[in-house]
Amino acid sequence: MEKCNSFVFNNLLEYLVPDVSNILYKISDTKKDVVEEIRLKNNKPILIYYNGSDYFVSKTGQLIKDQKESIYITKEQLQKTFQIISNYSVYAFEEEIKSGFITLKGGHRVGLAGKVIYGPNGIETIRNISSLNIRIAHEITGVSNNIMKYILKQPNTIYNTLIISPPQCGKTTLLRDIVRNISDGMPRYSFNGLKVGLVDERSEIAGVYNGTPQNNVGLRTDILDGCLKSDGIIILIRAMSPDVIATDELGSVDDIIAIHEALKTGVKLISTVHGEDLEDIFAKKNLGQIIEEKIFRRIIILDNSKGVGTVRDILDGYTFRSILH
Amino acid sequence: MTILKIFGSLLIILSSSLMGYMYGICYRDRVNNLVLLENCIKLLETEIIYGANPLPDALMSVYKKGNQKVSFIFKEIADELIVNKAETAFECFESVVNILKDELCFKDEDIELFLTLGRTIGTSDRLDQEKNFKLILTQIKTLEAEAKLSKDKNEKLYKSLGILSGLAIVIILL
Repeated sequence: MEKCNSFVFNNLLEYLVPDVSNILYKISDTKKDVVEEIRLKNNKPILIYYNGSDYFVSKTGQLIKDQKESIYITKEQLQKTFQIISNYSVYAFEEEIKSGFITLKGGHRVGLAGKVIYGPNGIETIRNISSLNIRIAHEITGVSNNIMKYILKQPNTIYNTLIISPPQCGKTTLLRDIVRNISDGMPRYSFNGLKVGLVDERSEIAGVYNGTPQNNVGLRTDILDGCLKSDGIIILIRAMSPDVIATDELGSVDDIIAIHEALKTGVKLISTVHGEDLEDIFAKKNLGQIIEEKIFRRIIILDNSKGVGTVRDILDGYTFRSILH
Repeated sequence: MTILKIFGSLLIILSSSLMGYMYGICYRDRVNNLVLLENCIKLLETEIIYGANPLPDALMSVYKKGNQKVSFIFKEIADELIVNKAETAFECFESVVNILKDELCFKDEDIELFLTLGRTIGTSDRLDQEKNFKLILTQIKTLEAEAKLSKDKNEKLYKSLGILSGLAIVIILL
């Protein structure tokens, strides 16, 4: 059930300047299915990234390795693309631009690079946009179905769970799907859905566009979009009475404080963290601490040894022994 | 023969006074339309500064809320923005120049001000947009005052000029 197919790709092309999108439109459907990123830079060739390497695009829409045949994007075309992406309204995306990306309809994200302007309160805006990186959202539903049995706890609750994964190994995808399963409930395990509070700091999990989540995160999920994890956890506990709180990419001291706060109220946690394995996490100052405190009872470790999103191991957070079978 | 002459003269007087009247009424329309345009720009300011709505939505909402005698141009611009992706916001503003001139009796300086709005709109953060709106709104006030003065001066003038020139032509021909 991959959401990223040629149809999604064609929809995305609406955000590009017609000169460029007309050429990208000619890319064959099978290639469109797997494209992960479209990278645009001032007066540089257009790069399409998929399956771990990048390709140039020829005038006829072929994906090639030869730079000479490649089509280029001019500064004006890039500016216009940025205008279309920001819907001619820089003011409406002030906060997003400050954090360096804009979320599009469909949950796709456009990363920005350019001249950063500082004001009295930190980054004020990014001007003279020089690079756009369009990341196509991959929502894959059902990836967590087989591991849910390790997370669910009788009666009708879950274990605090941490997902450890290197970048680009599908940790956000997995988290999103776990959230969906917890929120919707799983009749197979006679598990009724729980209220989930989702702090989506980088609009990656739910992909909220204009107040509507573009990805399926379940029917009992409340989303705080673009909110700092440390603030969001407290707000959710106070306001939405969640049973479970889900966030992406723990790391800062404030996050850890907020987690302790959440545990006091008896809320369950699900989160992810960047890392290769458990030792890697122990080496990190703040995170090592919470692992030692044995807050997380289930630790899922991902890698891409058998393709993106391979579950390498699932550990019991108490004994650090594998419970995967 | 005399009847025909009288009928002809009447026709001349009628058409020339109509011409004068039309000229005169254009001055009055310009004043009224400038006031309506000012209101529309104020609405747009609210949409952008406080609502932070994306430009096409903001323009459509101005069209709905404002007096549609003038606010229809904002719908034209919004449509242009949505349909024609290859254009910048400024080019979309430019596309309604003819309407401004022909249907709304705006003068070149009014249109220039309107285009200034198009040049800056949506290109910067809210603080900067607010400053631009302030500037535009003060300038439009000046234009309104100027338009009112020229209306007072010219509206009557053109109306009487129409009738009188009609009479003059008739007298010469008779």
